[in-house]
Amino acid sequence: MAVREVADGPGGRPIATGGAAGLDGALASPRRVRRPDDPQGMARPAVAAEAAGTAPADGGGTVLSAVDFHLRYPGLHALRGITLDLPSSRITAIIGPSGCGKSTFLRSLNRMNDRIPGIATQGRILFRGMDIFAPQVDPVALRRRIGMVFQRPVVFPMSIFDNVAYAPRIHRLERTSAGMWVRVERCLRDAGLWDEVKDRLRRPASALSGGQQQRLAIARALAVDPEVILLDEPTSAVDPVATGRIEDTLLRLAGRFSIVIVTHNLGQAARISQHTVFFLGGEVVEAGATEEVFSQPRDARTEQYLTGRFG
Amino acid sequence: MRTPPARRLRNALAVTLAWTAVCAALFPLLDMAALVARHALPALRWKVLTTVTSGISGGLANAIAGSALLVVLAALIAIPVGVLGGTFVAERRSGAFVRTVRLAADVLAGLPSIAVGYFGYIALVQALGWGFSALAGALALALLMLPYVVRTTDYAVSAVADDLRDASLALGVDPATTVRRIVLRAALPGIVTGVMLGVGVAVGETAPLLYTASWSSFMPTGRLTHSPVGYLTYVVWTYINQPFAAAHALAYAAAFLLMVAVLMLNVAARWALRQRS
Repeated sequence: MAVREVADGPGGRPIATGGAAGLDGALASPRRVRRPDDPQGMARPAVAAEAAGTAPADGGGTVLSAVDFHLRYPGLHALRGITLDLPSSRITAIIGPSGCGKSTFLRSLNRMNDRIPGIATQGRILFRGMDIFAPQVDPVALRRRIGMVFQRPVVFPMSIFDNVAYAPRIHRLERTSAGMWVRVERCLRDAGLWDEVKDRLRRPASALSGGQQQRLAIARALAVDPEVILLDEPTSAVDPVATGRIEDTLLRLAGRFSIVIVTHNLGQAARISQHTVFFLGGEVVEAGATEEVFSQPRDARTEQYLTGRFG
Repeated sequence: MRTPPARRLRNALAVTLAWTAVCAALFPLLDMAALVARHALPALRWKVLTTVTSGISGGLANAIAGSALLVVLAALIAIPVGVLGGTFVAERRSGAFVRTVRLAADVLAGLPSIAVGYFGYIALVQALGWGFSALAGALALALLMLPYVVRTTDYAVSAVADDLRDASLALGVDPATTVRRIVLRAALPGIVTGVMLGVGVAVGETAPLLYTASWSSFMPTGRLTHSPVGYLTYVVWTYINQPFAAAHALAYAAAFLLMVAVLMLNVAARWALRQRS
């Protein structure tokens, strides 16, 4: 696939610099991803691009962008022309009232909506400059690079260790069991769960509390070395203390991963995100730096939502 | 706050009714088990397990070995086909084909086992020329087990929350691996229940075997075709009609062994499941 002409990022640099053709190839052939001699082959170009200064220090690089993206369920036009850039290595919060399309948009970013019958999309979503709906893109390979954590904590019916090691084993990311232990420990530490579970890694994950299960889900998502982590209201089913822990975890991860979080909790958006997008009726009303969106919204509807006058 | 007397009365009535129903369900089972055990235990000697039947007496070694052979063969056929078929139907979820398979499984479950036996006789014993044999008997039993395995697998896999599938897919795991590693694992207790139900049915069947495995007073020869096999239910069915105490004792012993086998299979399956989780 030829590198498409894409909108410039905020820093004035084209998004699809370098690596795009290589990324394209990697996404299009899942076999290549599993090559044991290059287990992280897919993650590398992005890291290289940032190391080479493609992403400016102010985080101006764009990891995902939507270009006039529409999505229709049977009988419902859920997303009506979303055009949006999501910054690299930052936390972006998507806020908006129930039914505004924010979760649908999030699930479009790693093509989880493919599973819903009767769905139709139009327009483009670009991941590092490449159209994720292009026919040669393998959604399975795409989801390895764009991980997702869901609203309800989900643990697999196996041990805590095996929950984290599950996907790395399938993707053959480690050749030795020592390597797998290192990976599992790193991910559990990154998710802020290690100290609580290090003595019971072989116990069933279902014994963990809801908040712990959600952090386990984050550790599991980290275990395949994704570039982007999408979170769909990750704290709406856990108590305030667990919410705080999850927010701390996300803040710690922010520099290393691009994080997009859908949340109903405006305080949470203000606390952890650098970038905020306000969805309403399947459209983006406002997007910008969190401080600006919260303190001086440009659109009257944003102000109304933030001050609790609807939603 | 005191409970109003009317509600206490209703409560007591409901509890009494529930207990009566439980006893009504359990009594026949226990009574039958006691009857069989009472007649079987005096007859159960070591010799019964180690010698073959001869005429109306002797032992049950040939029937025990034959029953085990038939049921294991039937399970080897019915479990893979049933689990794969049930998983396919459950994952595919809807459509004319799925509805047809479900209907077919339900009809098959309601089919009289003697009809399956006669079908086996015509198709396997005669048309395919296998003769009375372990393979023909096992296929007939497998056909009877199949709907239980298909339907329980279908239910168990359908009941696995989509959250689990999504969580695995979101890690970049392909759908087939997700089904194999996550969905089937989560559905395993339900599938095992169905398999046990099917094995229980197969162990207890007589009619389909009469036409397909026939009967033999000798140990199974190891040949899968052209070699009739004995089985425990035949002893129960035939020997109880003989006017001899020795034949009756043997029939009860066979019935007792069948009950113990089904019980042990279920206990073992449950124990194995608990070890996993």
